[in-house]
Amino acid sequence: MAYTELIKTFSRIRRYLLEFYVYGFKSREEYNRRSSRSYDDERRRLESLLADNIRCRRTVESKTVYISVDSRTGEHNPFFRVLKAKSFTDGDITLHFILFDILSSPDISLSLSEITELIDERLSGFELPRTFDLSTVRKKLNEYCREGIIIGEKRGRSIYYRRSEDIPPCDRDMLDLFTEIVPCGVIGSFLLDRTENRDSIFRFKHHYLNGAIDSEIMYGIFDAIGNKCFADIVTESRRYNENGSILVPLKLMISTQSGRQYLMAYDTLSRRIKPIRTDRIQSIKTAQPCPEYDRYRSLLDRMQEHIWGISTESVSSARMEHIDFTVFFYADELHILRRLEREKRCGTVEQLTENTARFSADVYNVTELIPWVRTFICRITEIHISDKAAEKRFLDDIQTMYRMYSAAEERHDIQ
Amino acid sequence: MIFNELYSAYYKAVSEVIRTAADHKVSAGELRHIVEENAFSESVLAIEPALREQRWQLLYEDGSTPLTAYSGMPVTELEKRWLRSLYTDPRIRLFSDDLPSYLEDVQPLFRYEDICVFDRYSDGDPYDDEGYISRFRLILASIHSEQPLEIYVRNRHDEPIKVIMLPKCLEYSEKDDKFRLIGECTGLYVNVVNLGRIISCSPYNGSFTPVKTSRSTTDTLEFDLYDSRNALERVLMHFAHFEKQVIKTASRRYHVILRYDRNDETELLIRILSFGPLVKVTAPKSFILLIKMRLERQKKYIPAANEESSGN
Repeated sequence: MAYTELIKTFSRIRRYLLEFYVYGFKSREEYNRRSSRSYDDERRRLESLLADNIRCRRTVESKTVYISVDSRTGEHNPFFRVLKAKSFTDGDITLHFILFDILSSPDISLSLSEITELIDERLSGFELPRTFDLSTVRKKLNEYCREGIIIGEKRGRSIYYRRSEDIPPCDRDMLDLFTEIVPCGVIGSFLLDRTENRDSIFRFKHHYLNGAIDSEIMYGIFDAIGNKCFADIVTESRRYNENGSILVPLKLMISTQSGRQYLMAYDTLSRRIKPIRTDRIQSIKTAQPCPEYDRYRSLLDRMQEHIWGISTESVSSARMEHIDFTVFFYADELHILRRLEREKRCGTVEQLTENTARFSADVYNVTELIPWVRTFICRITEIHISDKAAEKRFLDDIQTMYRMYSAAEERHDIQ
Repeated sequence: MIFNELYSAYYKAVSEVIRTAADHKVSAGELRHIVEENAFSESVLAIEPALREQRWQLLYEDGSTPLTAYSGMPVTELEKRWLRSLYTDPRIRLFSDDLPSYLEDVQPLFRYEDICVFDRYSDGDPYDDEGYISRFRLILASIHSEQPLEIYVRNRHDEPIKVIMLPKCLEYSEKDDKFRLIGECTGLYVNVVNLGRIISCSPYNGSFTPVKTSRSTTDTLEFDLYDSRNALERVLMHFAHFEKQVIKTASRRYHVILRYDRNDETELLIRILSFGPLVKVTAPKSFILLIKMRLERQKKYIPAANEESSGN
């Protein structure tokens, strides 16, 4: 099939997009899941769609492609452009514009045969005019009724079609902000495309862009949640094998510090609530209503009192794990106490003395906290973890760091 | 469905071509310009011939169009549902006090309570505070009208100080859940103000000569990474929002070069520390020194196990 810039199925390009953005060091030969031709096509496509954000690095052995974005200086998420590259047929685009030329105002209401006649009239000026039969036009009109842009009204035995009412222009500043900070922000970008182009006055810090790649998956998640339904979800494992589960989507969990999003879902087979990364979901389809939905959702809400991140199970066999650590701070370091308070999540903070404070928490999985605890290195006076293996690992890691950055660091590589 | 040709850049470009052609005949050059402005870098290679060869029967040979009444596509149900969702988010109060009537019967795509941003800091800006809301709206308007502002703000010692600023943009951090105003100031004041610390602000109509800072505050951090405990994916995802480059140096070993704002050095330092021994900073020397100082301080409470075997 001849190369085209447009994309037929988003799932094909989704994995390349994520890998170019997050990794960006693999050469053509290392993308061995599909043919090299497939890699060449997707790379060329992304180079066209993402233009300024695609970089190449050449070595003697190979050329690698990576996506580089400093999200504090840019404006809108460049990945939105990829979601605006859906392929279509010559008939689709021709019919689209002619229909909205015919139905140019909400007070024009026409039957299928009237519309088809007017289509022929519009095309009559061309040397070899295209023809659209009644069935094709009806299918397109019905498709647009489902999208909410055309309304079909039954009058007698016929259906009359008119365009739906438009809405007043949206506040552009509001769109510029929310497009970047709420899920499915690409839809805000669609709305922005209807407005006059103008620089956004917003910039974003700590801003991850990869969520846009999972927009379609998030849409599916919200559809199941909104309708309180089961969902058929297909995920990929580490070996990229497909497996199916019937799950009850409950909530979308978003991390502002790791760039990941997770679906929290009740698994009716294992009878547990489990997290699933959205970038590992290949497809999601709303199934039948779940009569127990509210009960599962309440269960999750109660469990969140002991979930640090997204994990609902420990590495050790304990159902609940305990952690506490004490930090020291000088009189001019009161910001440390404020840090503990604002970052404590489901934990508690107790000021012990003028210069010490203790954080403690009971959680399902204590290993989720360890990276955060390490951010207090230089002032941790003591630490206790109920999972002794985790406690030992934490202390061993600190010893390793001492060695890594010691005077003999040249002899001691990263572990 | 979100991935739909209705929202495609090609449809947008062709929409502009048709609107232009309804007004006057579109020349080849004008058509190319419209496509370049609205679609992608290779799009003109597809769109121009499709229209010229009349595979898309929307434009005559002379650049005129039979579609003289085209007025665009209405907003879709999906777009309305997303808009409706915004009105379940507390931050909407910064822009709007009431739900518009045209969204009243629309089912939101998602609700604020269907989402949990689990690691956002808990001391975010007060979006339900009327004073904050009115200052936010004034700042927005002032940015657009390029109106200098007189701002009273609490500094880090909680003392009120006065800042005269030409506001340029608003920076939002999802992690901090805070807005910061960035602008050009007079004198020695830092040109960044946390909106949550502003006491009051009003238009400033006095004479004002902002000081533009020309010194770059960007630096480069380099570190080695060993892919153990899934470190590669975790580290690269964590730092994905930085401009960076990754080079594979050996089996399971990688070198990462990352550009960062020097003003955020302390924050970056603790983020690097969070990965423990899986990441080893190799440059700049000043950054390595900061890590060493922290580790030395930590030794007071968790002593090094065996000073002799480290080679000292």
